[in-house]
Amino acid sequence: MSGLSVGMFLFLVSVGMSLIFGVTRIVNLAHGSFYMVGAYLMVTLVEILPDRPWAFWVALLVAPLGVALLGAVIEVGLLRLIYHRDPLMQLILTFGLILVISTLVLLAWGPDNKSVSRPDALAGSIPIFGQPFPSYYLLVLGLAPVVAVGLWLIFYRTRWGMLIRAATVDREMLGALGVNVSALYTQVFAFGSWLAGLGGALAAPTIAVALGMDGDVLTTAFVVVVIGGLGSFAGSFISALLVGLLQSFGILIFPAVSIVLLFAIMAVVLVVRPWGLLGRPEQ
Amino acid sequence: MTSSARALVVLAVALALAPLALPPFFLQLLTEIAIVGLFATAFNLLMGFGGMVSFGHAAYFALGAYAAALLVKRAGIPMLLALPAAPLVAAVGALLFGVFIVRLTHTYFAMLSLAFAQIVFTIIFKWKSLTGGDDGLLDVWPPAALKSPAAYYYFTLATVALSLVALHAVSESPFGYALKSVRENPRRARFIGINVRRLQLCAFVISGAFSGLAGGLFAFYNGSIFPDFAYFTKSFEPLVVALLGGAQSFFGPVAGAFAFKILEWLISRQWPVYWPLFLGTIVVLVIVALPQGFVGLAGGRTWWTRVTGKT
Amino acid sequence: MRTRIAMWGVGAVLVVAAAAGPVAAQSKAPIRIGEINSYSGLATVYTFPYREGLLMATKEINDGGGVLGRPLEFIFRDDKLKPDEAVKAARELVGQEKVDFLAGCISSGVGLAISAYAKEAKVLYIATHCQTSRLTWDDGHKYVAHTTNNVNQYVRALAKKAATMPYKKWAHISPDYEYGHNVWDEFFVYLKQLKPDVEVVQQNWPKLGETDHSSYVTALLQSGADAFLSSVWGAQEIAFVKQARPFGLFEKVHYFSASVGNPDELDPLAKEAPVGAITPGFAWYDDGMQKRHPKLAEWVKKYETRTKKEPTLGASWGYASAYIIAEAIKRAKSAETDKVITAFSEGFEMEFPWGKVIMRGCDQQAIPPQWVGVVRMNAQGKPVLADVEEVHGKDVIKSCDEVAKLRAAAAEKKK
Repeated sequence: MSGLSVGMFLFLVSVGMSLIFGVTRIVNLAHGSFYMVGAYLMVTLVEILPDRPWAFWVALLVAPLGVALLGAVIEVGLLRLIYHRDPLMQLILTFGLILVISTLVLLAWGPDNKSVSRPDALAGSIPIFGQPFPSYYLLVLGLAPVVAVGLWLIFYRTRWGMLIRAATVDREMLGALGVNVSALYTQVFAFGSWLAGLGGALAAPTIAVALGMDGDVLTTAFVVVVIGGLGSFAGSFISALLVGLLQSFGILIFPAVSIVLLFAIMAVVLVVRPWGLLGRPEQ
Repeated sequence: MTSSARALVVLAVALALAPLALPPFFLQLLTEIAIVGLFATAFNLLMGFGGMVSFGHAAYFALGAYAAALLVKRAGIPMLLALPAAPLVAAVGALLFGVFIVRLTHTYFAMLSLAFAQIVFTIIFKWKSLTGGDDGLLDVWPPAALKSPAAYYYFTLATVALSLVALHAVSESPFGYALKSVRENPRRARFIGINVRRLQLCAFVISGAFSGLAGGLFAFYNGSIFPDFAYFTKSFEPLVVALLGGAQSFFGPVAGAFAFKILEWLISRQWPVYWPLFLGTIVVLVIVALPQGFVGLAGGRTWWTRVTGKT
Repeated sequence: MRTRIAMWGVGAVLVVAAAAGPVAAQSKAPIRIGEINSYSGLATVYTFPYREGLLMATKEINDGGGVLGRPLEFIFRDDKLKPDEAVKAARELVGQEKVDFLAGCISSGVGLAISAYAKEAKVLYIATHCQTSRLTWDDGHKYVAHTTNNVNQYVRALAKKAATMPYKKWAHISPDYEYGHNVWDEFFVYLKQLKPDVEVVQQNWPKLGETDHSSYVTALLQSGADAFLSSVWGAQEIAFVKQARPFGLFEKVHYFSASVGNPDELDPLAKEAPVGAITPGFAWYDDGMQKRHPKLAEWVKKYETRTKKEPTLGASWGYASAYIIAEAIKRAKSAETDKVITAFSEGFEMEFPWGKVIMRGCDQQAIPPQWVGVVRMNAQGKPVLADVEEVHGKDVIKSCDEVAKLRAAAAEKKK
C-alpha cells in the first residue's frame, strides 16, 4: 500500500518535468529547485496564516502559484533567449539556475531545517488491511489520479491543449498560422513549474524542508521520467508506480542496494526498452 | 609558422617555465587544470565530435583513480607502473558499459551512462574491504622524486600533453572524420558503409580510457581518493567545462578548464558561503551571451556553424 | 551586444574577486589558522552556529590580549562537502596564505582527506566538527588533533543509559555509510558489554538522504523489538519521525536516537517531536545543567546577544575549538608546529561553561562531558530535552591502549 502512495507521490513530483520536456524539449534541471521553492513557500504561508484548519489548504493552493510565477519569469527572461541553441546549452543554463536558486533560498530562509505539520484532519492513520495507513497519503492517492486525468483532459480536450500538441510537432507552422507560440511556451513552462511547486508543497508535511532537497528530487524525477519515456504522461504515471512499488519492496528484499536501486531499475529498463516504457524513438 | 602554431609554441614555453615564476600553489592549480582539461577533452571526443553526451564519465575517471591507487597501496607497485593501469581498467569499464550505452541516443544515452556510473559508485562505496568505502584510500602520493609541486606539475603536463596529441590525432584521423559524419547524419554514414555502433563504441572506449588516465593522475595529485569521484556530480564537471570552453573546437575543453577552474577558485575564496550564486550567474551569463563558449572570444573554429547551419 | 554585457558582467565579478585579493600582504603579527568547512548547502544548518561560536571565542581571546600577545585569526574556506576540494583549499591556505595551522571539517571524508594532506605537508591540522573516531585513532598521527568528542563517546554514553533499562530485543535504523555503521557498532558492542542479555532482532540500512521510510517503519513495527536505535540524522531524521508518527511507532517500540535531541531537529518538528525518545544533546536550558554549571547561563546570554539565536551543540564546539587551539599555543609558548604538537601530545585540561574538557595526549583527542536526556514538551509546548543525565566522556571512551591497538591494526591493513 505504501508502495502505491510512494508511486503516486513520484508521479506528482515528476510529471512537471515530463510536461516541459514533452513540449519545449528542454530538460529542466531546475525542476528540483522549483520543488524546493514550493515547499519553502508552503512553510512561510503556513507560518503567516492564522492557525486555522483552512490555512493549510490555502497555503497548498497559493504556494504552487508562486512557483509558477518564478517559472514564468525565468522562461521569459532567460530561456527564450536560448531556444534556438543547442539543447545542451539549455541544459547547462538550467544547471546554473540550480546554483543560483539554492543560494537564494539560503539567503531568504536561512540554513535551518523547517517543517510543515499535516493538517489535523489528516494527521493520524486509518487501518487498511489491518495495517495502519497514514491518512495524509490518502490525499496524495486521491490527488495524483485527479492530476493525471486533469492533464489528459487539458491536452486532449481543450483548445489550448491542442495548440500545445501542435507546437510539439511543428512549432514554425503553428507560428505561421498566427498563434503566439512564445506565449504558449511560457504558459507551458509556468504550468510545469506549478506542478513542481505543487509536488513540493504536498511533500512538505511528510519530510523536512531543508537545503539539499532539490538534488534528491531532481535525480528521482529525472529517472522516473526517463523510465516512463520522455514526454509521455502515461509513461510517467506507470513508471512512477513501478518505481514506487519496486523501491518499497526492493528495500526489504535487497537492502544492500538501496543506494542504487533507482538507477539499477532505470538501467534494466533502458537496456531492455531503449526508449523507456512508453517513449517514442527520437528523430 | 601559422599563427595558431606560434601561439601553441608560446604557450608551451610559458608552461615549461612556469615553475620558475609561479609559487607552488599555482603550479598545483595548473596541474589540476591540466588534469581537468584532459578529462574534458576525452569527454568531448564523445560529445563535441561524436554527438554523444554522457552523464556518467565520472565512472571511468574513478575507475582509473582506484585502479592506480589500489595497485600502489595494496600491491605495493610503484606509481609509474601502476598509472598505465588507470586507462586500461577504465577502458575495460567503458567497453563493458559502452556496449549497452551506444545502442541508445540522446537523453537515453545520457541517462543509461548515468545509471552505470551510479552502479560503479555503489560498488566502490559498498566494497569496503577493497576500496575503503566512504573512508576512502588515504596517503596516495607519488614517489619521492615526483612529489614536489614542480616535479608533479612537469610529470602531469608531459602526460597530458602526450594524451592531447594522441586525442588530436584520433580526432583528425579518418576515424575522427567518420565520427563527425555519424554525428551529422547517422543514416548517410550507414549508407556509405560505416559501422555506426562499432565506431561509437570505439570512441566511447577511447574517451573512457583517457578519462581514466585523468583519474589516475588526479589520485596522486590529491593524495587521497573517495567514492564520490564516481558520483554523478563529478560527471557534470567535464560537461560544463567543455561547453563553456567551446565544444566545437578541440582545445575548447582545455580553455574551458583553465577559465572555469580559475573562476571557481577566485569566486570560492572570495565568497566561501555564497559562491554558488556567483558561479551560477556567470554560467548563465556565458551561456546566454557566448554561443561558442570562451573559445569564441579567441575566434575559435566554428565548424558547427558551417556544417550544421545552426548558431 | 549581449556578448559585451556578459563579458562586462564576468569581468566585474573577477575584478571584485581579485581586488579582495590575497590576504598575505599584512603584518606578521596574527596567528593565522586556515579553517576549512562546509559553508554552502545543507551543512550550513550546523556550520553557521559553529562559526558563530568560533568567532565569539576568537573575539574574547583577542580582546584579552590574544595568544602570546598576537591576535588569533581564522581564514575560512568552503569544502563544498568534497574531500578533494578540501585538499585544494588546504594547499592554498598553506602554500599561498601561509597559515600557521589548519582547522575545521564537518564531513568525515573531508576530515580524513585534510588529515592525510597535513601529514604529508607536515602541518598541524586541528579537526573540529567532524565526528569520526578514525581521525585520531585508526588513521591518527601526530599532525592531527581533534577538539570535539567523537562518535565513540556520545554513542557509548547513550548505550550506558540504555543498559539501565529493561530492553532486550534491539533493532536499529542507520544510514548506510561509514557514520551509520560506526554508530551502530559502537552502540551495540558497548551495550552488550554492559548488559549481556541484549540481542539484535532487525537491522535497517536506508541510504543516506532517503526521503521515504515507510517500509522501514513497517519493518520496525513487525520486528518484535522492544527498542531501536536510530542514527539517521538531520533532515532525514525529521522526515523519519514525521513518517513514523502516524504509524504509532514510538508508542510501540522505544526510540533511542543519536541526534534527535539537537535543536536543528527538535525545533522544526515542534508538536510532532517524538516525546519519550532518549537521546544525547546539549540541553543548556535544563535546570539541572545550569545548576551544575553556573557559568552556562551567562555564556548562553552572550551567544544570544551576538547572534539573536539560541546556541547549538555545534556553537559550543566552535567556541571550545578556538580556546583549545589558543591554549595549546600558549602552552607551547610558540606558534611553531612541532612545539604545538608537543603541547597537544602532553595533553591538558580546560574548563568551559559546560564542564571540563580533557585534551588527551596519547591521541590528541578531546574528551568533553556527555549529556543524555529524554524528549519532552516544556511549558510553552516546545520540545526539549529533560531529565538530563551527565556522563563524562572519560568514563566511556576507549583507553589509550585500545587506541594503540586500533592504530596497529590499521597500519597492518595498509601494508
